[in-house]
Amino acid sequence: MKKRGIGIGCGFYGTGYGNGFPDVSRARAKLETDGKIGIYVGATEVGQGAKTVLQQIAAEAMGVSIEDIKFYCESTENTPDAGTAAASRQTYNTGNAIKKACEALKEGLIYIAIDKLLLNSAVGIRVENKKVYLESYPQSAISFEDIAKALTEPLCFEESFTAGTTKMEEESGQGAPYWPYTFSVYGVEVEVDTQTGFVEVLKAVCAQDVGRAINPQLLEGQIDGGFSMALGYALMEDLRLTNGEIRNNRFSSYIIPTALDMPEVKKIIVEDPEVTGPYGAKGVGEPVMVAAAPAILNAIYNAVGVRMREIPVTPDRLLEALMEKE
Amino acid sequence: MKEISLRVNGEERSAEIHEEMRLLDLLRDALHLTGTKEGCGEGECGACTVIMEGKTVNSCMVMAFQAEGKEIITIEGMATKDKLHPIQRAFLEKGAVQCGFCIPGMVLSAKVLLDENPIPTRDEIREGISGNLCRCTGYNKIVDAIETAAGYLNTGGDSNA
Repeated sequence: MKKRGIGIGCGFYGTGYGNGFPDVSRARAKLETDGKIGIYVGATEVGQGAKTVLQQIAAEAMGVSIEDIKFYCESTENTPDAGTAAASRQTYNTGNAIKKACEALKEGLIYIAIDKLLLNSAVGIRVENKKVYLESYPQSAISFEDIAKALTEPLCFEESFTAGTTKMEEESGQGAPYWPYTFSVYGVEVEVDTQTGFVEVLKAVCAQDVGRAINPQLLEGQIDGGFSMALGYALMEDLRLTNGEIRNNRFSSYIIPTALDMPEVKKIIVEDPEVTGPYGAKGVGEPVMVAAAPAILNAIYNAVGVRMREIPVTPDRLLEALMEKE
Repeated sequence: MKEISLRVNGEERSAEIHEEMRLLDLLRDALHLTGTKEGCGEGECGACTVIMEGKTVNSCMVMAFQAEGKEIITIEGMATKDKLHPIQRAFLEKGAVQCGFCIPGMVLSAKVLLDENPIPTRDEIREGISGNLCRCTGYNKIVDAIETAAGYLNTGGDSNA
């Protein structure tokens, strides 16, 4: 018999290294000789979209389009350390470092403009569209390119950002071990075949707090990816570690979801800006996975009345539990 | 050692092969077409998918000598010099690529699917790429992209296939 059920799971997740560990990102912003903005950062792109999001943050901070950003990342030869692409920390940590470096560069550009335009104050000076100008008298303007040409030495600023956390008190467990946290809720509908123990996830909805959605399309991709990893985690993926040996060390035995296993996921992106984040943004890479497996297990309970306490809920395990129930 | 010839991406190619060489090794090592990826090496993941005689094959499971005289399309044969194939364009537009390792195989599976079934349903698309594992994307944006590509190709798009 096929039985359907729905389930909800909620999660919160502290991003970054946490526990008072120095979670540092460094970034350099430089006026290139052609008037474009060079961003030098050790951040690593592994497909999550760091290169895109970090360039967007730089473009926003400098008031230029993304085509005017020259982005150099990863190579340790010419970029400062921005920490690992881990702990869902690049958008928040490195994004903040880039924003700070760009703000320093902007200030540097303003001081050069004051000198070149013979102004008496930084008040009312704006930096946008690749030029520095006086808002009340826009004719008084100098382009980034002209500033670059006039420079005798490179205009370059390096800044760093360290996430603020404390070590947890050993005795009491108190403290602020992570910041920021992100919150999410998943809802799923499953269909359980009580004869085979096979669980199919029919549909899913995810509401994910992101602080600020810098790139909604990439965010949706993170949610789909996180859900599919959680789907495998909840129902399929089992290393079978026996005496230090991984028994399921092949894709023929370590089963991960295919396109046929994956349901459509409705996404609700919740924007509640985080004051310490770059333009309010927080990391979502890992958080998008957290609540999905509990939602699936709750849906199984709703469908067949069996509370599964071990994952993955493979057909043999579920069948055994169903038999025990009867 | 044996010399064989085959057509790869519309060009006559020949290569020296040895008997235990796989088509994957022939493409990557002998012809330097490294767009084809080796994932599991045992026909489970689909990363090494190429098109042989109009059908997708796992190139890790086909011996090089079996490709003699055959027509092969790899990911390098999809775009022209200055234009992406509509399927590739749709993958970029829909954000269907994350780490990218599965994508050459995905694109080629999509091509064969759309060659055989120009207006697939979303379920048929899922079936069509079910031999290609992806760890990053959760597949949904890939399904979106293939749906979009079908639209491009059916409206006389700029296919060079």
